[in-house]
Amino acid sequence: MKREMAVIGMVVCIAVGLIVGFFLPGLLTPASTPGKTLVEEIQDRGELIVGTDAPWPPFELYNTTTSTWEGFDIDLSQMVADELGVDLVVTNILFDELIGACKAGTIDMIAAAMMVKPSRTEELAHSVTYIRVNEVIIAKGTSTITISDFDDVTGYIMGCQSGTTQHDALLDLGMTEGVDLYVYPKANTLMASLEAGAIDLAYVDEPVVSVWAKTQSLKIIYTVPAEPMALWARWEEPELMMEINNVILEAYRTGDMDDLYEKWFG
Amino acid sequence: MVWLSDEPNFLTIFFYILTEGLFVTLALTALGLLIGFALGLLLALMRVYGPTEIGWFASGYEKIFRGIPVLILIFIFAFGIPRLFWYLEPLERPMAGVILALGLRSAAYQSQIFRGAILSVQPGQTAAARALGMNGFQSFRHIVFPQAIRLAVPSWSNEYAVVIKDSSFAYGVGILEMTRAAFDISANFPELLSLSMGIVAIIYLIFTYPVTKLFGERQTKKLKDFGMGGG
Repeated sequence: MKREMAVIGMVVCIAVGLIVGFFLPGLLTPASTPGKTLVEEIQDRGELIVGTDAPWPPFELYNTTTSTWEGFDIDLSQMVADELGVDLVVTNILFDELIGACKAGTIDMIAAAMMVKPSRTEELAHSVTYIRVNEVIIAKGTSTITISDFDDVTGYIMGCQSGTTQHDALLDLGMTEGVDLYVYPKANTLMASLEAGAIDLAYVDEPVVSVWAKTQSLKIIYTVPAEPMALWARWEEPELMMEINNVILEAYRTGDMDDLYEKWFG
Repeated sequence: MVWLSDEPNFLTIFFYILTEGLFVTLALTALGLLIGFALGLLLALMRVYGPTEIGWFASGYEKIFRGIPVLILIFIFAFGIPRLFWYLEPLERPMAGVILALGLRSAAYQSQIFRGAILSVQPGQTAAARALGMNGFQSFRHIVFPQAIRLAVPSWSNEYAVVIKDSSFAYGVGILEMTRAAFDISANFPELLSLSMGIVAIIYLIFTYPVTKLFGERQTKKLKDFGMGGG
């Protein structure tokens, strides 16, 4: 009796394993309507779903006073949505999760001040780059820390946002998370930690500093040139990427891009 | 640079969080609890009345889902298995993923609650019911179940408190619920981080304490009057 049960149990387990194994690869690819490109799907749906990670002003911020999305990336995404003739829907996800969400098909496009770097291009395709900003190391206004070389940061407790190029750069220096490197899921918690003195220095994009500098005493102690930023979409959807690139190039041609720079960084 | 307008005060933040996030938080909680209830009750029945092998399956399920952090489950179901909710609109998929994650996790705990409640109804009552001519299902339906469900209420109210608090993890996958609303306030007004977090904490408390008080302590007392339950 016992042996029979064991045999039946094994057969059932193998059968379940085979069934799960058969369906699993299908479950892990993005859900899409067969025979339709993503652009057609977006137009049927009437919505372009853009994933971002806010707050990262002036690139993206949800304004709680007016209940609207604002920022450079949002305006640019709006141009893409206008070009496709659909509404823009913005969803706010953790930065780490953006690439996964885009690959999964939950979002159509990423607009999150995301810099071009090789490991990301293995996962997703990026558009024509549209802006390049510096990355900066900041300290509290009262801090006396100075550094002359980027490698000098290893002597301090650093903070940055999770999954960003800053995060990678600090890890490449050999810093250890939880020891001399603290990683935050959102920019506002990073800034609050700097203010509270939990970290000595924070590593962020330069335009972001100017916004928090309004309410917090901050100073830039070191500037690092960074890679340019782009919009991101799936490799499998070249039609969408073509539309995105068209919008960016057209914005450069008509001067709309200059207006945007003036509006958000002027 | 347009967003630093009028500074909100305690009341405006309070009502902002309620209007933006309360409905979604309660919806996630209610649906999560509902899935947990249906599945949890089934698992409990499997463990109490089912053959040994079915019992193994149920207790295996409990062990697995009690051992996985709910945030991990949320990431798995929201983004990890994209085709899971292929029939939904893309933005509804993370929402469904969160509800499923909360539900499956809650089922593992609710199963224990119901199993305990069913077992604490004295076996003599079932024997008496069978002696009166009821069959197995009838004795469960009319004798054991009505008592067990009452006995389960105090622990179940505690499970509600757990699920409503865990629904705050949904902010990580882009769902606008109360925690996200509080975060948005602090993103617009960084100096209000402590205030907005404090307010959202108070709101969660308002939605947990009275419920656990009402269903927990009062039900326990009521049960005691009937000579049932131990608290």
